[in-house]
Amino acid sequence: MNLQSIPLEYYLSLSAIMFTIGTVGVLTRRNAIIIFMCIEMMLNAVNLTLVSFSAFMGDSAGQMFVFFVMAVAAAEAAVGLAIVLALFRVKQTVYVDEINIMKW
Amino acid sequence: MIDLYIPLIIMVAVGGLFGLSNVILAEVLGPRRTKTKTKLSIYECGMEPITSARERFSVKFYMVAMLFILFDIEIVFMYPWAVQFKVLGTTGLIAMGLFMLLLFAGFIYVIKKGALKWD
Amino acid sequence: MSTTVILFTILSIGAIASGISLVTRRNPVSAAMSLIVHFFMLAGLYLTLQAQFVAIIQILVYAGAIMVLVIFVIMLLNLGKEENLTEKFSMRTTLALALGGLFVVQFLTAFLGKKTGMNALPEKSMSIGTTEGIGNVLFTQYLFPFEAISLLLLAAIVGSILLAKRKHEAS
Repeated sequence: MNLQSIPLEYYLSLSAIMFTIGTVGVLTRRNAIIIFMCIEMMLNAVNLTLVSFSAFMGDSAGQMFVFFVMAVAAAEAAVGLAIVLALFRVKQTVYVDEINIMKW
Repeated sequence: MIDLYIPLIIMVAVGGLFGLSNVILAEVLGPRRTKTKTKLSIYECGMEPITSARERFSVKFYMVAMLFILFDIEIVFMYPWAVQFKVLGTTGLIAMGLFMLLLFAGFIYVIKKGALKWD
Repeated sequence: MSTTVILFTILSIGAIASGISLVTRRNPVSAAMSLIVHFFMLAGLYLTLQAQFVAIIQILVYAGAIMVLVIFVIMLLNLGKEENLTEKFSMRTTLALALGGLFVVQFLTAFLGKKTGMNALPEKSMSIGTTEGIGNVLFTQYLFPFEAISLLLLAAIVGSILLAKRKHEAS
């Protein structure tokens, strides 16, 4: 029975393209919240790789990893955005170029 | 096997098209009136609008949303446990009890810290 | 063309388009909206891989909870558009785009150059993505990581409350 007609390579390529878009976003944007969203996108690209390998190999380890990545992403969202809030209280800005208190 | 999802795909497509078509049809079929600055301004019972509608939210909303995420994850992990409850038996119950216990400690911390107090 | 091919094409184009939209939008709210579309596209892609539970969790956790928090923070800080920022690092943008292009080319040659021969999902993949399959594995083989997640969530609760709460409110 043929379950699937998309080869694994296409999923991997799509995931690589998404990861790169996220990387370029992290490197070019200066709004800390958008950088945070780009990191979420990179995590999702990796999740797609894990799920596609899990499905093509018939092994559930990949999908378990996706769960743990999602739990870590949720914790990261709560703590990361709290850091952005705390930073905004001190510096009144979320643009990462203007936050240079650790620069000497 | 993706054919199993065809009803779902149709539902999503119909839902999206319905929303989109309503916006487009309202624009096409609706009466075209001249748009002046006064007509486009926000209606506030005849008063002049005082401030922008984009007001800053209070940090209390953030607290609720943040705790929602963390306890949402807890619920997500409870789904597969609930489905396989009979198969997993006592081991699963103990595992889930330990998981809940640690998160309950977090919940007690939240209450003690007064993070959900509204005033 | 089968349903899967059509679906994969639509979903992958949608995922890439919404990703590019996230990176290029000036307004943080529209960037967040494109990320939500991106998450829905990914959920669809997970469905094409027979990972039903992961697809639902994707919508529930990412689109339903994390994006709500992100939008709350955008509203909380009441950020304007980035248009008033002067573009002083155009050098950085070109460098990032060049490196990104190189990265994609490298990945694509690595992935598409050599065929893996994996063109169809194995029969086994039907059972691992369901809620029953996930539950069986999660609470036996992956029990310890599962318990570790509760510690992580506890640390996240304590940490984010300490960070987000104002000092004078704490007492």
